[in-house]
Amino acid sequence: MRRILPVAALAGMLSLASHAEAQTATAQCPNGVTTLSLLKPLNNPVFPEQIAAYRALNPCVSIDVSEVPFGQLADKISVLAAAGTLPDILVYDGPNTQSYASAGILEPMERFFPPGLREDILPATLAEHSFEGRIYSPGLQQTTLALFYNADMLRAAGIAEPPRTLDQAWTWPQAMEAFARCQQGSGDNVTVWGLAPSRFGTGQPGFVYRDLLFLRTFGNPTAPQDSTAFRTFFGISPDGRTAQGWLNTPEAVQGATFFRDMFNTARITPRSGIPNAFQDGKACFTIDVSFLVAGLRTRDPGFAWGVTPLPHARTPIVHTGSLTLGVSARSRHVEEAARFVMAVSTGPIALQYARTSGTLPVLLSLYPQLPALGEYPLNIFAQALREWGHPRPPSSRFAQYDKIVSDALRDIAYGADPKTRLDAAVRSLALVLRR
Amino acid sequence: MPRILRLGLGLVVLLVVVAVFLGPYAWIAASSFKPQDEIFRDLEPLSWRTFWPTSPTIENVVHLFENRRMGRALLNSAIVSTCQVILTLVLCSTAAYGLTRIRFRGANLVFALVLMTFLLPLESLVVPLYMTVSGLSLQDTLIGAFIPWIASPFGMFLLRQYFEELPRELDEAARLDGAGHFRIFWSIVLPNVRVPMVTLALVTFLFSWNAFLWPLVILSSPGNTVVQIAIAQSVAPGQLPNWGETFAGATVATVPLILLFLFLQRFFVRGVALSGVKG
Amino acid sequence: MTRTARKVAHWATILAFVGPFLGFLLVFQYWPLVQMVNDSLYDFSLLNPARRTFVGIENYTWAFTDPDRIQAFQVTFGLAIGTICLILPVSFLLAVYLNGKLPARGIIRTIVFLPVITSAVVIATMWTFLLDANNGLLNSALTALGLPRGLFLTDKVQALPSVIMMTLWQQTGFATVLFLSGLQGIPQELEDAAHVDGATAWQRLRFITVPLLIRTTVFVVVIMTAFALQAFAPALIMTGGGPEGMTNFVAYDIYKLAFILEAPGLASAVSVIFTLIVLAISLLQMRLLRARWNY
Repeated sequence: MRRILPVAALAGMLSLASHAEAQTATAQCPNGVTTLSLLKPLNNPVFPEQIAAYRALNPCVSIDVSEVPFGQLADKISVLAAAGTLPDILVYDGPNTQSYASAGILEPMERFFPPGLREDILPATLAEHSFEGRIYSPGLQQTTLALFYNADMLRAAGIAEPPRTLDQAWTWPQAMEAFARCQQGSGDNVTVWGLAPSRFGTGQPGFVYRDLLFLRTFGNPTAPQDSTAFRTFFGISPDGRTAQGWLNTPEAVQGATFFRDMFNTARITPRSGIPNAFQDGKACFTIDVSFLVAGLRTRDPGFAWGVTPLPHARTPIVHTGSLTLGVSARSRHVEEAARFVMAVSTGPIALQYARTSGTLPVLLSLYPQLPALGEYPLNIFAQALREWGHPRPPSSRFAQYDKIVSDALRDIAYGADPKTRLDAAVRSLALVLRR
Repeated sequence: MPRILRLGLGLVVLLVVVAVFLGPYAWIAASSFKPQDEIFRDLEPLSWRTFWPTSPTIENVVHLFENRRMGRALLNSAIVSTCQVILTLVLCSTAAYGLTRIRFRGANLVFALVLMTFLLPLESLVVPLYMTVSGLSLQDTLIGAFIPWIASPFGMFLLRQYFEELPRELDEAARLDGAGHFRIFWSIVLPNVRVPMVTLALVTFLFSWNAFLWPLVILSSPGNTVVQIAIAQSVAPGQLPNWGETFAGATVATVPLILLFLFLQRFFVRGVALSGVKG
Repeated sequence: MTRTARKVAHWATILAFVGPFLGFLLVFQYWPLVQMVNDSLYDFSLLNPARRTFVGIENYTWAFTDPDRIQAFQVTFGLAIGTICLILPVSFLLAVYLNGKLPARGIIRTIVFLPVITSAVVIATMWTFLLDANNGLLNSALTALGLPRGLFLTDKVQALPSVIMMTLWQQTGFATVLFLSGLQGIPQELEDAAHVDGATAWQRLRFITVPLLIRTTVFVVVIMTAFALQAFAPALIMTGGGPEGMTNFVAYDIYKLAFILEAPGLASAVSVIFTLIVLAISLLQMRLLRARWNY
């Protein structure tokens, strides 16, 4: 007993001290400093500048940021949700809104919308971030893909300058020819790859955002609704519950075969990631988002570069949907967290972010304020968003769809038989989607 | 075997062992202090430069502690491991004493119960154990990270072996002097089992410090990260600018154990050899 | 003291010594075990475990027939067998070397033991970068030696052997130490007597050393099996289950089913099957170990 009392007193004092620290009232902050926890993927928004801009206007709020590599983000959120320890603010991939909302992870946000905001948000974005009539995120940005090229290398290889308008965009056969001609070295001794490895997801090939396009582009949205061509284009049934007959169609197999050949037959792109391949001059072409434009302008890579629309097979298509901010439903600071999300996603911080990052905003009112979006090269992205943009296959189980299909595409890149592997993916999906 | 041949063979074996077993460590440690592009540049062709930073930088380590909460992770790992060691020693030694020194009906039953759990793989218990620990509101706590493991069957068996070998005459003598079980345990048995206790402490520390699956499942908020999780959550080979930082993390996580190992090699080797399944 | 009071005191002492240990064991090992069997009969999500539907043995039928689950067990055993087949000769030879009077023994023993105390996470991290197809140290070394480069974890056929190689690297030190203590347990008189009788080193090895090391060998097999059955970090960190499931070890499969695919009922069914298999193997191995080879 004699020994317990001092220990208990010490423990008591320690806990009081830490509690008190959080609540210290200062002249500036009569209610003390509120700390909001935030989870985000590496090398992605929200960036320190955005947080600093918010803190400058709201000094009584501090943001505690934790990061994971993008490839681990969805898994991390799943585990945190199961443990009930989600952070106050979540930066997550937009298509997961349905999953997270139906699982009760996210807080509906419409009540924090100022009047007129709803109408100002891009309809596609609003739809993606909604579930059963409630809106769960205002949306931060839109991203689409295009093909970047090293103009110096193309010139040296005698390849004609790629088109800059959507109506003259390359087809995949045309692009493949360019990749092959520009590549230097072959087999084990490639010094410059035709196409840079994907830098999305974990850096392994297969990430749905980029690589499912190789399948969907072989589809046809104008074909009859019960045809395989139509279904290939959409990748999942409209209710988001069936993949059989939507993911493993003959056209999808055709697309997957083309994808596999890029790595194994034509061998114009490597199987494992090479960080910074395009900027370091180790690849002629790369498929990337509009962020790369700002990146290349800030840090000159030392060569002339250009952008051409993403090639297609049968139907041009790019994926829309990007990272967005949400508030955890079980957060203890819902109001404060929502205020942060709204401030970063709309208003001056959003405008500044769009200006500096080269991303496409979700707010229609911002477009006139960003003349760069009407000029080359960003106009390619903006146009593709409008004319070719489709969300990733929507489902209340998108997180699992993303993982299973990404794994399947990765295996196909590594040489798996497309039909068998897609069928296996559909089988795994049946397990997950039916519930 | 002639001496010169013997020396030659020794040299060859030493070189191969160093290249194969130390090489990776050297590469990782050296690359921790290199900027990203230098790591790539020094890889081909393979040379001494691959294993030595020519323009060293502590950027990676600094980043590690600033952005990845490595300091916090190290602290948490130290807390969890220390608590696990202490509590394991307490529980296992008392249990081993009780099963060997006190005659009671049902001792064999208890022993059989413990034996059974020895064979249960942790990996299959993860999901229900997670729900049990959450049910006790210990999810995402450091306590939750170590508490399922302090009743260690391996520890109990190890100590039991040594307890059995202690001569009973010591007990008898003490009992004649009027000592009860507690006194015998504390003053007679414990001082004579220092070596296995140290061994058990080391093996438990090793197991706890290196544990991954369970902390991954039970700990989630960033302030509660442990060293192994902190490293695992930075591995993304295709992304920049990651390699040096990941390597630095791996180096930092291993250095404490290596130091401990170098000083206490004898105990380690004996302990790991005895550890059997759970080590 | 009355007899009853003495009896109560006796049991109180027993409780004090054995109680805490047993208590924790029951709460953290036996209770989850019961839970696991119970959970395997239901379908639910970890986000809301109270809301569950009873499905009986449906989870088990699926676990036994789903090709991906069967493959998980196959590759896990593949890892065990592959590791064992390679580690026995390598560590035995190394132990023979360390037992002799050859130089640098202490250093070599320390060096090979380093990977044993290194965590699975650090090893998996290290080897992810070692095996990187483009910028990995191993390919760089192979090129320097004039050998063809490997695809390692990006190839269906090479992935599991790569993990076996990594496991071999990690555990050789452990097996070597075990063999070494086994070798040192062989009485010198036997060796001397054989030497006097004119047996060559090779004959001594074959007729004395190896037979007397059978018990140690079985012990090494036991440890390596246990280690392979536990494999988790390589799957999580390096391959995510590997090309076409070739590194989808059971421990990772269970984790993925429960926490990523949100099907803990299925995960529990697989866990029950896994536990039974591990129990069977462990009991078999314990039987083998109990056999004595006296000399």
